[in-house]
Amino acid sequence: MIPFNKYLKLTAVALIGLTLCAQGARTPQHIDIKQLSKTVEDVVVPLPNEIFGALNKLGAVNWKEHVRSDKGTNFTERPRIALLLGTVIADGFVAVQAEDAASVKEIGQRVLALAKGIGVGNSITPHAKAIIEAADKRNWEAVRQELDRTQNSVQQAMNEVHDEKLSQLVSLGGWLRGTEVLTSVVTKHFSADGAELLHQPDLLSYFQTRLEAMPEFKLPIIREIEDALVQVKPLIDVGNARIPQESVRKINEITTRLGYGIVTRD
Amino acid sequence: MNAFVKTLLCTSSLLAALVVLQPAILASVDDAQSFALQAAEPYVKEGFQVREDYWGGDLGSGEKKAVRQQLFKGNEYWFWLGTEVDRAKVSVHIYDSDGKLAEETDGWEKGHFAAAHVIPKTTGSYFIIVSVEESPEERTHWALVYGFR
Repeated sequence: MIPFNKYLKLTAVALIGLTLCAQGARTPQHIDIKQLSKTVEDVVVPLPNEIFGALNKLGAVNWKEHVRSDKGTNFTERPRIALLLGTVIADGFVAVQAEDAASVKEIGQRVLALAKGIGVGNSITPHAKAIIEAADKRNWEAVRQELDRTQNSVQQAMNEVHDEKLSQLVSLGGWLRGTEVLTSVVTKHFSADGAELLHQPDLLSYFQTRLEAMPEFKLPIIREIEDALVQVKPLIDVGNARIPQESVRKINEITTRLGYGIVTRD
Repeated sequence: MNAFVKTLLCTSSLLAALVVLQPAILASVDDAQSFALQAAEPYVKEGFQVREDYWGGDLGSGEKKAVRQQLFKGNEYWFWLGTEVDRAKVSVHIYDSDGKLAEETDGWEKGHFAAAHVIPKTTGSYFIIVSVEESPEERTHWALVYGFR
């Protein structure tokens, strides 16, 4: 005879199992993606550390050699500041990977100065302070979180004043710097899995569409990025094929050139 | 004069209503996000980094929304969906770019919370399908957050 407690447990397990089966049965195994086209929301642009995390799992990376000391010129054009701000935040993630407290603190200050330059300094001050404090304590997880919060607050502040385009340029700056570092790492220690991290065709199309909608920004760097994305697209949009070493090297050349353009005056 | 006073009263009433209602409308998506973050909380202890950015909106009962997201092979992701509507039932599922169900089997749905787990087999675009299965409200606010490790 089964004791009551055991009976109760068995019944509960059976009920949970049935519920899960019912849920599993309800969930279609396949959907028609084309039918979704009208209901698809915009992408959330991944943070550089999302890519760096995946890269770390492929083998040890010497992050120190990717920490950049040149944090860029002081620009007055808001689109240029926005691009640079995204790049500097991405540099913050690199410095966290390298556990370089001095660089993180410098980046915290730089982020604040750039945010002030585009009129969103107030929402960034507490984050910049938190970044510097966490770097002092070498609390890298807290620095990562604050960098994410910083980018989010900058973009929210911009969206609130209908500066969505500048907000998109912040994302683009970060994505370009992240791609530059990714391709630099993979070029030095090539692996098919590392190269596969570049397989981001939809994200690239997303940025292309956004840039096309910014004809009012008549800055050479913006048009240069637009042209560069056209060159990068066929190198990463390879379907199920692998991305070869040569393509990784080319993308690195392109993104390094753009990175230089973003931090220096024309 | 009377007409002027009437117009003034109407306008100010409308403005007052807007001022009162607007935060309520905005608060609902914010509330939904709080619930999504609440669902994510236990996973932070397991090393998941939860993104600050999120998706949100409102859906009627039985309606779905697709969210496209770039995922990277080597990472592990959880997506958490929440709504502030207590008696609503929501769901979230993950499909790859070919429309094939890509999630692990440990996803869950508990009333106004749901979560889906994916360990991407390839790097690329994935579709996160959020749905309000049932709700007492005509429109139900939702928010989707994600974390990775």
